[in-house]
Amino acid sequence: MEEELPPPQSDLSSPNPSSSIDTTLQKKHQAMLDRLSNRHQSRQKTATTPTTIDSTASFLFKFTESKRSIESLLNNSPNTPDPTLLKSHLANISSSISSLEKLVAESSYFLPPYELRSSLKCIENLKQSLENLNSQLLPKKKFSFKNKSTSKPNPGNLNTNPIAPNPSHIPQSIRDSPGIRNKESQTLSKNFKNFKEIGEFTLSDLDSCEVKLIGCINALFVNKLRNCRVYTGPVIGSILLEEVENCVFVLASHQIRIHNAKGCDFYLRVRSRPIIEDCGGVRFAPYCLRYVGIEEDLTEAGLEEENESWGNVDDFKWLRAVKSPNWSVLEESGRIGCVEIEGSGSIETEVEIEKV
Amino acid sequence: MGLLSIIRKIKRKEKEMRILMVGLDNSGKTTIVLKINGEDTSVISPTLGFNIKTISYQKYTLNIWDVGGQRTIRSYWRNYFEQTDGLVWVVDSSDLRRLDDCKMELDNLLKEERLSGASLLIFANKQDIKGALTPEEIAKVLNLESMDKTRHWKIVGCSAYTGEGLLEGFDWLVQDIASRIYMLD
Repeated sequence: MEEELPPPQSDLSSPNPSSSIDTTLQKKHQAMLDRLSNRHQSRQKTATTPTTIDSTASFLFKFTESKRSIESLLNNSPNTPDPTLLKSHLANISSSISSLEKLVAESSYFLPPYELRSSLKCIENLKQSLENLNSQLLPKKKFSFKNKSTSKPNPGNLNTNPIAPNPSHIPQSIRDSPGIRNKESQTLSKNFKNFKEIGEFTLSDLDSCEVKLIGCINALFVNKLRNCRVYTGPVIGSILLEEVENCVFVLASHQIRIHNAKGCDFYLRVRSRPIIEDCGGVRFAPYCLRYVGIEEDLTEAGLEEENESWGNVDDFKWLRAVKSPNWSVLEESGRIGCVEIEGSGSIETEVEIEKV
Repeated sequence: MGLLSIIRKIKRKEKEMRILMVGLDNSGKTTIVLKINGEDTSVISPTLGFNIKTISYQKYTLNIWDVGGQRTIRSYWRNYFEQTDGLVWVVDSSDLRRLDDCKMELDNLLKEERLSGASLLIFANKQDIKGALTPEEIAKVLNLESMDKTRHWKIVGCSAYTGEGLLEGFDWLVQDIASRIYMLD
């Protein structure tokens, strides 16, 4: 720092400046300025770290070069039916893409985030177009060996299902799975209270029905319901609903997945976040079912606590920060209130609860 | 030396295995991973995206990628295929209606070239539920016998709820991968 102190001060203060002293001082001064400017320049150089700039630029240059060559390979595929030629051409492109990918990976530690992201995106696009090209040029490869393995239907099996012509013949037990199917305009109730061993239960293809399930079950599958009202006791595992329309569900479970629901209301007690996929106009509210002994069933299923998860819905068709338009919370004034059901018969009363 | 080769070196030294868990939604993938790691499985939300768990298993380190199975996000599975040593396909043995879906998705997966070297473990999960199909029945439905002869595979019945069968499955998977990858050690 001493050099930066201006020597002219001493110059001015000297009472009798001789010319020789003046020149040496000037020389010194000049040298000092040179030194300072040199230092300034070198400092500037280090500040901008030319290596990063250079290597980013050279990376981008290399990347664009090979990207262009891959693209031209993709666009100028040989117009020949010879599969070996095509294959080698495609393999060529594939290896160029992977070496490009390697280049990005190797440069990833110094690349700015934007360049990194955009080059990864670019590679993804290249892969996609290679895949398209692959299926376009060599389309029949996928099917060629699949046919060989089709198992001949066993002639000894008398129970083969005639409506399932596909090779994956599903075992007999599929028809035995417990459930309620193909009903219209009925009140259906089932009491699992005294069942020793309970498994899964299925509700499918119901129209304008009222369904009441009392007691715990392990898993519930709901499929193709229209204009129904479904009230169930706690489900220990999970509930999967698909293709339901204009229904009201009162359900309790550890996990609830709702696919393809339209215009339905869900009154849920759930340990985790309920999810919807391909749904529209679905509304959510808390669980509101009563029957004799429901408390112990809820405890048995580990669902005695209300943790307010019913309102934390994840919409897999709306992966954005703003709230999904496909679902909403059902306003308290629009809710059905507490539903009270009885196990044995079809007697059912709806009572509005007045919370104190 | 590039970043990739450094990573590969480290991986070899620490005996890491990369395991990809996939299967339809509601099959119990996350529950299996948490159960095997001794974690609480009572509150698990359907997986939006993926979870990574690193588990020490015998003398190996397993990097388990548990990827969500909802239909919307199945198309993202392929982003996780690279460098997979072991593939775990989880089946809900009580979901009889969607077995065709399950078979179709598995068939698609096995066509994938990047997974062609991976050992395949099929978990016939939810064996604790009455009415669930047995592993033998699942194997029949999925037509596993007709799989490419070069593939190392095994089907194991399990219950992520009770923990039964999980260790048996992972023991096989880890041994099978080890015998392929770390044969020279």
